[in-house]
Amino acid sequence: MANQKPILKAEDLSKRYEDGVLAVDHLNLEVHPGEVYCLLGANGAGKTTTINLFLNFIPPTTGTCYINNIDVTRDPLEAKKYVSFVSENVMLYGNFTARQNLDFFAKLGGRTELTKEDYHQVMRRVSLQEMAFEQRVKNFSKGMRQKLGISIAIIKNAPGILLDEPTAGLDPKAAAEFLEILRELKNEGKAILMSTHDIFRAKEIGDRVGIMKEGRLVMERTREELQYEDLVKIYIDYMRSEPLTA
Amino acid sequence: MTWTIARKEIVSNLLSYKFFIVILLTAILIFTSFFIMHRDYKQRLTDYSLIKPKPIEPIAVIPPNPLSIFSKGLEELMTRSFEINVIQITARSGMKSGNLLFSYFPVPDFLYIVRVVLSLVALLFGFDQVSREKERGTLKLMLSNSLSRSKTLVGKWIGNYLSLSIPFLLITLLGIVFLNLDPDIHLSSAHMVRLALILFFSLIYIGFFLSLGILISTLTKRAAASIVILLFIWAILVFIIPNLGTLLARQMVDVPSVKALSEKRQQTWTKEVLLGEEDRRKGESSWDTRYKNIYSEMDKKEEDFRNKFNSLVKLSKNINRISPVASFVYAVTDIAGTGIGEESSLKMAVVSYRNSIFSDVISALRSRVKKEYPAFAYRHRPLSQIFAEGALFDTAWLVFFNILFFALSYFAFVKYDVR
Repeated sequence: MANQKPILKAEDLSKRYEDGVLAVDHLNLEVHPGEVYCLLGANGAGKTTTINLFLNFIPPTTGTCYINNIDVTRDPLEAKKYVSFVSENVMLYGNFTARQNLDFFAKLGGRTELTKEDYHQVMRRVSLQEMAFEQRVKNFSKGMRQKLGISIAIIKNAPGILLDEPTAGLDPKAAAEFLEILRELKNEGKAILMSTHDIFRAKEIGDRVGIMKEGRLVMERTREELQYEDLVKIYIDYMRSEPLTA
Repeated sequence: MTWTIARKEIVSNLLSYKFFIVILLTAILIFTSFFIMHRDYKQRLTDYSLIKPKPIEPIAVIPPNPLSIFSKGLEELMTRSFEINVIQITARSGMKSGNLLFSYFPVPDFLYIVRVVLSLVALLFGFDQVSREKERGTLKLMLSNSLSRSKTLVGKWIGNYLSLSIPFLLITLLGIVFLNLDPDIHLSSAHMVRLALILFFSLIYIGFFLSLGILISTLTKRAAASIVILLFIWAILVFIIPNLGTLLARQMVDVPSVKALSEKRQQTWTKEVLLGEEDRRKGESSWDTRYKNIYSEMDKKEEDFRNKFNSLVKLSKNINRISPVASFVYAVTDIAGTGIGEESSLKMAVVSYRNSIFSDVISALRSRVKKEYPAFAYRHRPLSQIFAEGALFDTAWLVFFNILFFALSYFAFVKYDVR
C-alpha cells in the first residue's frame, strides 16, 4: 500500500481563520488506495476543516492538499473529479425521489451515461429498501439518507472518498451497515478519509487512525499497532492532556 | 453542467407547492386584469362614440388606445376632449372609467401586476437559492464535484428564470388570444409589435428581481433573513423611490399650478377685452391686433409653464430612475402610448390644431355663423421616436441593472462560505 501513490495527501497544511483561530496546524497525512484513514478528535480539533481544505471550500493558510497528485488550490475542478464526499447530515432535495437525487449528483460527478437500472443497482448495494427508490427523500429517516449519500459517493466512482462524521446520529444497526459498505469500497481500492468522534468504529474500520488536537495531528497508529494498544485510553489521555498552546 | 443545474431547478420548482400557488395566483391576476381592463376599454369606446365631435365643433379628441388595456398610464387624461375657444383650450372630463373602485385602488392593469406582483414572485424564486442550499447541506455536496461556482450560479438563474418566465408568457399570450376574440378589440400588427416589446421589458424586469433575490441569498446564511431583507428592498424600489423622486423634484423646480395659469389667462383676457373696447371706441385699434396681442402673451405664459413643467418631469424621471422599477414603467407606458411623452406630444398636437383653426373660430364668433372644422387627427409617436426620446435609455438602464446585480451575485457567491 505504501508503495502506491497516495490519492489524498496533506502536506504541511495549516489553516488560520480570520478571527485568529488556528484550526489546522502543519498537518501531514496520506491516504493510499485501499486504505481507510480515520481522523479522531474532539469538536473544534480541525477534522472538518481538514475535509473542507481538501474540497477547496476554504483556502489553506500554508501548505497544500493533493487529490490524485493534483494541487487542490491550483486546480480545484480537476482535483475534485477524483474525490467523492459524504457529509454528516445528508439532507438532499426533499421533493426529489431517491433516484432523482442520485441522477442529479451523478451527472454533476460526470456520470451522464447511467440508466435507471444503474441507479437501482447502487441503491440495492447500500441496502436501501426497493420501495424507497422512487419515494420522495423528505420522508426518509437519517439512516436512509446516509445510505443515499454513500450511493452518491459510490456512483461517482472516484478513487478518493471524504466522509465527515458519516455515522453521527445513526442507530447501531444503520452504523454497522454503513461501515460494511465502507469496507467494500476499501476492498475495491478506494482511498477513504473519514472524520469521526466514534473511537470504536474508527478502530473497527480504520487501517490508520490519527488523533487531532487543536489542529495538530498528535498521534497516528496503524491497525497492527492498535492490536496491542488501547485506542480509547490513548484518545482520552490526549484529550485530557494540557492544551498544546499552553 | 449549467444545464444540469438549470434542469434540477426547473424540476424542483415543478415539484413544489410554492410554484403552483405562485403560478395560479399569477394566472388569476392576469386573467382578472385583462377581463376588468377589457370591460373598461369597451366602456370608454362607447363613451367615445357618444362624445365624438361633429364637424361644426372645434373639439380635439382621440379614441381610446387598445394598449391601455395593458398599461393604462395617462390614458384618461389623453382621451379627454379638448375644446378650442377664443380664450383657451378647455379640457373637458373625457372617457373616464366607469369603475369607481379605480379611484380607491390602483388600476389593476398588466403593468401593475408585473411591476408589483411579478417582481415579488421573482424574489420568491430567488431568495433561497443559495442560503437554502447551504441550510440543507446540498451546496457542499454540489460543490464537492468538479463544478465551478459560476456554472452553478448561471444554472440556478436560468432554471428559475425559465420556471417563472415560461408560465408567465404562456398565461399572458393566452389572455391576449382571448382578448383578440372580441371583435371590438382591434389589435393591429403595430399593436402586436408594441405588445411584444412590453413583454420583452417585463422579462428583463423579472430578470432583475430574480438577480436581486439571488444576490441577497448569497449575502445571507439563512433563507429567513434573506426574505426579510428582500421585502424591505422591494418596498423601497417599488413604492418609495418612485414617489420620493417626484416629491424631491417638486422642491427643486418651481412650477405654477395649472389653476394659477388658467386664472392668469382669464385675467389677461378680461384686461385686453376692456382695453380693446375702449380703443375701439377711440377708433385706435382693431380686434384682430388685440387678439394677436392676447394670444402672443398667453402663448408666452403657456410656453414658460410648459418649459418649467418639462424640467420638473425630466428631473422627477431621472431621480426615480434610481430604481429600475421607474425605468420599466416609463418604457412600458411610452411603448403602449399612454406615457408622459405621449401625453405631451398630444397636447402639442392640440395646440397645433388650435392654431390651424383659430382664424375660423374667431370669424365664427364674430359672424355667429357655424363653421365646419377639419377633424382632429393624432398619430401616436412611432417607436423610433419613443426609443430616441427615452425608451432606449430605459432599456439600457434595465439591462445594466440586470448585469450589475448578476455580477454582484457572482462575486458574492465566489466568496460565499459554503461550510
